[in-house]
Amino acid sequence: MSDLVIAHLYPFEMNIYGDTGNVIALTKRLEWRGLHARVDPVPVGADYDLAEADVVFGGGGQDRSQLEVAYDLQRRAGAVDEAVEDGTVFLTICGTYQLFGRRFLTRDGTEIPGIGVFAMETIGGSKRMIGNIVVDSPWGELVGFENHSGRTFLDAGQEALGRVKKGYGNNERAKEEGARRVNCFGTYMHGSLLPKNPAFADQLLALALARRYGEGAMLASLDDEMEWRAAASAARRP
Amino acid sequence: MALGRAAGRLSQLLGRGGSALPGLIAEKIDSRTIEKLAAGLRRGAVVVTGTNGKTTTTKMLVGILEAEGLSVVTNPSGSNLARGIATHLMRAASWRGRIEADIAVLEADEAAVRTLSARLSPHLVVVTNLARDQLDRFGELATTAEHVAAALRHADVAVLNADDPLVAEMADAGAEPRFYGAAEQVRRLMPADSNLYGAQEETGPRPELRVRLERAEVEGYGEHVELALGKDRLEFHLQVPGAYNGYNAAAALLAGLEFGVDPDRAVAALQAIRPAFGRGQVIEYRARRVRLLLVKNPAGFNQVIRLLGEVDPCPVLIAINDLDADGRDVSWLWDARLEDLARSGHRFGTSGIRAYDMGLRLKYAGIESWSEPDLAAALERLVDSADEGETVVLVPTYTAMLPLHSMLLPGTSKREAWT
Repeated sequence: MSDLVIAHLYPFEMNIYGDTGNVIALTKRLEWRGLHARVDPVPVGADYDLAEADVVFGGGGQDRSQLEVAYDLQRRAGAVDEAVEDGTVFLTICGTYQLFGRRFLTRDGTEIPGIGVFAMETIGGSKRMIGNIVVDSPWGELVGFENHSGRTFLDAGQEALGRVKKGYGNNERAKEEGARRVNCFGTYMHGSLLPKNPAFADQLLALALARRYGEGAMLASLDDEMEWRAAASAARRP
Repeated sequence: MALGRAAGRLSQLLGRGGSALPGLIAEKIDSRTIEKLAAGLRRGAVVVTGTNGKTTTTKMLVGILEAEGLSVVTNPSGSNLARGIATHLMRAASWRGRIEADIAVLEADEAAVRTLSARLSPHLVVVTNLARDQLDRFGELATTAEHVAAALRHADVAVLNADDPLVAEMADAGAEPRFYGAAEQVRRLMPADSNLYGAQEETGPRPELRVRLERAEVEGYGEHVELALGKDRLEFHLQVPGAYNGYNAAAALLAGLEFGVDPDRAVAALQAIRPAFGRGQVIEYRARRVRLLLVKNPAGFNQVIRLLGEVDPCPVLIAINDLDADGRDVSWLWDARLEDLARSGHRFGTSGIRAYDMGLRLKYAGIESWSEPDLAAALERLVDSADEGETVVLVPTYTAMLPLHSMLLPGTSKREAWT
C-alpha cells in the first residue's frame, strides 16, 4: 500500500539532465520518514489516469523527444488542467515546463503547441543560457543548473517561482525564474533540483500529503547537512 | 609545415607539453595539412570515434597492427580534435612533410569526426557507442549521431557496435558495415544508459556479428574475455578491466581483420595492451595498489559501477570536478546507477570541487560516505583506510584525474601521462 503516488511523465523521452534524481529525492525523503511512494512511469502513448497521482513530475528532453511529447501532452491537456485545479502537485522542468505554457516558438519558426497551464510562452533564441543558478523563493534560496536557449515570458499576473539572484532564469531580462499555478510548479533548474533543495522537496511532499490526508500532515525533520553543503558548493560555481 | 614542426619543438622545449600548438600553426599556414599528410600513408587511415572506449580501442588497434610489423602513427587521447591530430601527423612527418608510416590510427572526438573524416578519407571508421556526454558541449545526442553518420560517408568500411541502437542504425550511412557485438549473456549484464526504470525493450532483427563477445569476467585487475570469430573461439586475458573493454577488444580485432591481421597474433597483442592513462591503470603508492577508473558520463560511470560490483570490497574514492573538460553540469551523477553498489561492501569517500554533490548522490542511493573536497587530503585518507598490500580504487573525472595522477606518480610529466 502506497502513501503517495508519483507519476513520472515521459521518463524515457524526457530524461537528459538527471531528472530521475528528483523522483529519487521525493521517494527517499518519504522513505526516511517511514512512508512509501509508488512511482508510475507514464511514457508517450500510455493510458494513465492523472487523478491517481498525488505528485506529477516531468523533466527535460532533447528537441526530437520534445516534439513527440508535445503531441502526447495535447491529449492529456484537459486531465492536466483538472488535476492542477484540484491541487495535485506538479513539478515540471525545462522541456516539460516549456510545454506547460501556451506555446514554444522555436528558432527555426516551428510552433510547438503547449497546454497553457501557465500563462506564458517561450521563444527560441540563439544564445544558450548555461550555468549554475540561484533563485530566491518563498522556500528559501534554490540552487540548480540551467541549460536552455528558449526564453520564457510570463504574462502579467502569472506568478513566478522566484527571483533570480545569479544566472539567467526565464529570460535574461526579467530576473525571474519559473512559474506557479496552485500547486503546479515549473522551472528551468535541474541539477538535480530536489536533492539539493530539501526545503522545496519537503514543501512539495507536504502539499501532496495535505491534499490526500488533510491539513496537519507533519513531516519529521531530517538531517540535511549533506544537502546544504552540496547546495552551497553549487551556488559558488559559475 | 616546417614552421609548424619548429613551433612544436619550441613549445616542447618550453615545457608546454607541445600538444595542440604546432597543429594550430600548421592549420593556419595550410588548411590542407591533414589531407597532404594522410596522402602519404601506405595503407590509409583508421578513425576511432564514439562516446566511450575511443582511447582504449585506439591503443588496442595500434598494438594489433604493430604486431603485424606495420608502422603506425597515432594520437594520444588528450588531443583528439582536428588541431591535435594535425600535430601528431606532423610529428611523424619528415622535414619534407611526408609521413613515413603504413597506417594512421586516430582517435577523434565525436564533434570533430565529421570534418576530420572528410579530410582524411579513411579506409575505416570504428564507432564504439553513442551516449549522452556533456550536453553543455554537444547539445543533442541526435546531432552527434548525425555528425558521426556524415563521417561514415567518407570511409570505405564502418566497424559498428551492433548492441548500440544509434550506432547500429549507421549501417546505411555510406560505408560498408561490419558489426561486432556481444552474446545475449554478456549483453544482459551491461547496464543500460537509462534511468531507474531500466531500458526500453529493443525490437528488430540483429545484424550478423563478425566478432562476438561470448564471455567477459573480472580476472585479477583485468578481464577474462572470449571472442567468437565464426566457428573459432579466442580466449584470453586483458590487462584492462570491465566487460566494456571486451567490447573494445572486439572492435579492435574486427578493425584489424580488415587489414588482414592474423587472429592469433592479434590476441597476443591484445593481451599485451596495458591500460591507457587512468583507464584501469594500477599504480603502486605507499605500498598500496591504486586502481584508476576514469568516468566522464553516465554510460561510462555505469560500466565502472558494474565493474565495482564484481570486485572484492575495498575503499573507493569518487572525485568529481565540474570544469569545462568534465562538463560544468554535474546532474549526470543522478543518471548513474549508484544504487547497484548499495550492497557491494565497498567503503566510499568523495572528493573534488563537487565532492558534496557526489556524497549526496551516494546518500540517496543508500550509501554512506565521507567527503573531503581537497584531492590531496582525500587521496591520503583513502590510502590510510587500507592496509599495506591492499587495493584501493579511485574514480575521478578528467580534471580530477590529472592532479591525482601526478600525486601517485610524481615526476611523470603531463605529456607522458597523456600517451
